Amino acid sequence: MEAVEFDDILDDWFIESLKTYKDLHVYQLEHPTQVIEWTSEKTVCVTGYSLSKNEILELRLPLKLFADENKGLCAERDFKVAHGGFTDGPVRRLRHIPGTRCVVTNDGLSSDLQVWDLGGDDSDVIRRTGSIAGRRNVSERGSRIAARLSSPPQVLHGAQSSDVQLTELTSGRTLYKLETDSTDPLSFLQFVSDTVFLAGCCNGSVYVTDTRTSAAPQLSPPPASSGDSVLWWADASVGPHPSSCRVVRLSSSGQAVVSDLRSLGGGAVCQAQLDVQERCCNLDHIRVSWAPTLDDCISVSGFSGVVQIYNTCGWSMELQERQPLFQHRGHVVSSQQTDDSTPVFTTAHIWHPERPRTLLSAASDGSVHVWDWVDPEQSAAGSPIPRT
Amino acid sequence: MPEINVTPLGAGQDVGRSCILVSIGGKNIMLDCGMHMGYNDDRRFPDFSYITQNGRLTDFLDCVIISHFHLDHCGALPYMSEMVGYDGPIYMTHPTKAICPILLEDFRKITVDKKGETNFFTSQMIKDCMKKVVPLNLHQTVQVDDELEIKAYYAGHVLGAAMVHIKVGSESVVYTVSVNKYAKSHISAWIDKCRPDILISESTYATTIRDSKRCRERDFLKKVHETIERGGKVLIPVFALGRAQELCILLETFWERMNLKAPIYFSTGLTEKANHYYKLFITWTNQKIRKTFVQRNMFEFKHIKAFDRSYADNPGPMVVFATPGMLHAGQSLQIFKKWAGNEKNMVIMPGYCVQGTIGHKILNGQRKLEMEGRATVRLLISFALTKRLIHVGKLLACVFCFHTLQLDVKLQVEYMSFSAHADAKGIMQLIRMAEPRNMLLVHGEAVKMEFLKGKIEQEFSIDCYMPANGETATVTTNPSVPVDISLNLLKREMALGGPLPDPKKPRTMHGTLIMKENSLKLVSSEQALKELGLNEHQLRFTCRVQLQDPHSDPDTLHRIYTHLKSVLKGYTIQHLPDGTVMVESIVIKVSSSAEDTNAKVLLLSWSYQVKHRHCPCSRLSKLGQKHNRLKT
Repeated sequence: MEAVEFDDILDDWFIESLKTYKDLHVYQLEHPTQVIEWTSEKTVCVTGYSLSKNEILELRLPLKLFADENKGLCAERDFKVAHGGFTDGPVRRLRHIPGTRCVVTNDGLSSDLQVWDLGGDDSDVIRRTGSIAGRRNVSERGSRIAARLSSPPQVLHGAQSSDVQLTELTSGRTLYKLETDSTDPLSFLQFVSDTVFLAGCCNGSVYVTDTRTSAAPQLSPPPASSGDSVLWWADASVGPHPSSCRVVRLSSSGQAVVSDLRSLGGGAVCQAQLDVQERCCNLDHIRVSWAPTLDDCISVSGFSGVVQIYNTCGWSMELQERQPLFQHRGHVVSSQQTDDSTPVFTTAHIWHPERPRTLLSAASDGSVHVWDWVDPEQSAAGSPIPRT
Repeated sequence: MPEINVTPLGAGQDVGRSCILVSIGGKNIMLDCGMHMGYNDDRRFPDFSYITQNGRLTDFLDCVIISHFHLDHCGALPYMSEMVGYDGPIYMTHPTKAICPILLEDFRKITVDKKGETNFFTSQMIKDCMKKVVPLNLHQTVQVDDELEIKAYYAGHVLGAAMVHIKVGSESVVYTVSVNKYAKSHISAWIDKCRPDILISESTYATTIRDSKRCRERDFLKKVHETIERGGKVLIPVFALGRAQELCILLETFWERMNLKAPIYFSTGLTEKANHYYKLFITWTNQKIRKTFVQRNMFEFKHIKAFDRSYADNPGPMVVFATPGMLHAGQSLQIFKKWAGNEKNMVIMPGYCVQGTIGHKILNGQRKLEMEGRATVRLLISFALTKRLIHVGKLLACVFCFHTLQLDVKLQVEYMSFSAHADAKGIMQLIRMAEPRNMLLVHGEAVKMEFLKGKIEQEFSIDCYMPANGETATVTTNPSVPVDISLNLLKREMALGGPLPDPKKPRTMHGTLIMKENSLKLVSSEQALKELGLNEHQLRFTCRVQLQDPHSDPDTLHRIYTHLKSVLKGYTIQHLPDGTVMVESIVIKVSSSAEDTNAKVLLLSWSYQVKHRHCPCSRLSKLGQKHNRLKT
């Protein structure tokens, strides 16, 4: 692409962004990240995924994002590296253990986990403090990791449905094992309450498990879809009660299916064919996520260099094509890559837990964006209302 | 071993009052002389008592080098040179020399006139200090004396900022505060060949990942646009050329793009300064750098016009660039007073404001300001009357008093940073380019530099130092000593074969080093002996090894020869007609023992040189022992 042409596109997008974003911050890491994980209300963890040594960084978000009343008086727009460390290999998954200064990582090559101490005020170095063995030595896609607030701290992990276990962090003691003969690789693992978790498989089936009972987990079959070779990802909304929880499942062909947790096997609540503009992408980077404070909104990334926001309100049981409510094209337009055969693609995204329309997204060129988008829908009927 | 000592007098594991003392090759250099803006007492100055407890610094310093005009790098210069005492040269770039006295004088006025401090440098001291300045041109080698040379390179994070290369003999240090992305492309050519012993850099921004320049500009445009759209006025107090002109270009492009009609003005004070600094900037930089930056003259804008103070009262939206940058006086303050009371208006502060200025106050959220008005004379008359008018009141003396105007700040205040410092990625790129043998970090807190230190040490396999104030980092250097080599010796070494000598793959060679009349020469030992008029002596060692062997002497020798051939691979072994075996240059003879006919005596003989090169002697001796054991 000609340099002038590149600058024009950038200019057009940036001029347009004056109206379409309330806030926009664009950063460039030294190496791309596949994870963005909140470690506190103002800090996130990112880490590289190259096969050799990588950095693991805890970044403090710019003060400007948090200065609500006197925002104008705060000039600070930069990320600050609060803590940093080094890993010996790639990091494909990272999960913060709530209530601690620990994170747990997985390299995507085996099912073992590494445990890290993020450090405090007396040192800015992140150190590895231990490891947790998985139930399988080699794993094609690595382990999924989930955690919730508990005392003592625990971590839920597994590479496939038959080896999901809940492990106590400090002692390494196994507290619970998911008993199933199926060996479907996992694409999703999440707690929906203190005792109930969902284990989503790549084939679209979901196990609903209550750790208090020894009964077999409830298995929900995959959604009906065209094509046997589709892969599925999922996310569960977090509500005040598990009964209000909804699950969205997204296929590699762009089909999104929303179900109620109470009747996960009974059929979808609604579904849609998303306009994901699928290109040659790394399926490891597909992400679907419920907005934490915007009703009915989901975000999708990993199919291309774009992060899309969809409003599921108005979807029906009929599989219809739906257009996104908003698209963040920043990674595409500001990518430095000139080789057209490998266009930039998003590798991760995450919602701010409290600011309704603020997201962080990362891409394969090392860019990280923080953006607060403006809802283009003016009508009250269509506008997602932030939960109070 | 030769060494370079680096001692921060300020900014060692601390932010502010940058001042670093470097001792290299017997020379003492002070890098920067800044003020700590957070203190109002002596803690704001670097601790010069480290250099000397009493007396002037002239005898202890060979030169002072100032990197750029920010007060935390030059704010203590008049104090150091005129109040502590220093008469030697002070080096800085031309723009820094032009801008420094203005900032120092502004700062002095605020500190003395507004804050009432007394023990501070005077205007005359600033002038006297600046007389000692020797301006530097980019890429020009300056010989401070016979041994010390310095050279400045474009760093670019502010106008006039420079990286400095300091060299004494073959030892060198590079000092940089920060390098912006424009500078990197211009310094890569020279810095690749540099390989300094130490690269000194600030670490403050090394743990920062900067928001893009485009997003800062976007924010600026958004704020201006929103204000204009609601009918408000935007005041932008500015100082130096670079920032003002960049923002003007931005607004001009935006206005054109969006077809906006609201007027944009720049104040006349800015125009004069802008022209002066524009010329300074353009002549100071080279052609390549000029192309990177604005080439337009201030007067060529379509939408930006010169400001007249009467325009401030015009209705409707407008944007005004005015000096000075901290709102402490002049036109920007006058405009601010007029516009502050209207909440539709906005002031955008694009830079740091010194404590005590209006700019600093409003950036700290102060919404009510005490402003000085005109002096008036008031006559105060007071009567105390009782009902019976017994007493007449007093007539009090007239007094002078100033009106103090209370200003309610209702306009929107925005603080925007456009500084062009490098960040974490930038620092690593700089080290990658410069390939220093050691790294030294200043200007950061110790607990917040541990990760960076580890990162640098791991990635580049070099030592990384971060001394505290008053702590000396001693870096051992490995200076190259140039030596002439005689042609004969060189030819002889080349004849031995093998790869050519390479800086990354050194070869061992043998010769004699002669130091004569301040020159060093490497010659062959024969030539050295000849020059010294000495005879060569040969030392030869012998040893005897006893063997039990009933065979004849020639047979024994032949068997030894055959055995050695099989076990000493890679060595030249010859069975000579004179009845000796030679292993390389070791001679082996066999003779029968006089006492025992079945015993043989092996005589091994080698010269002194062989012992030091490749000596299979010990292996031969062991073989003899092994042979005896086998026999028994």
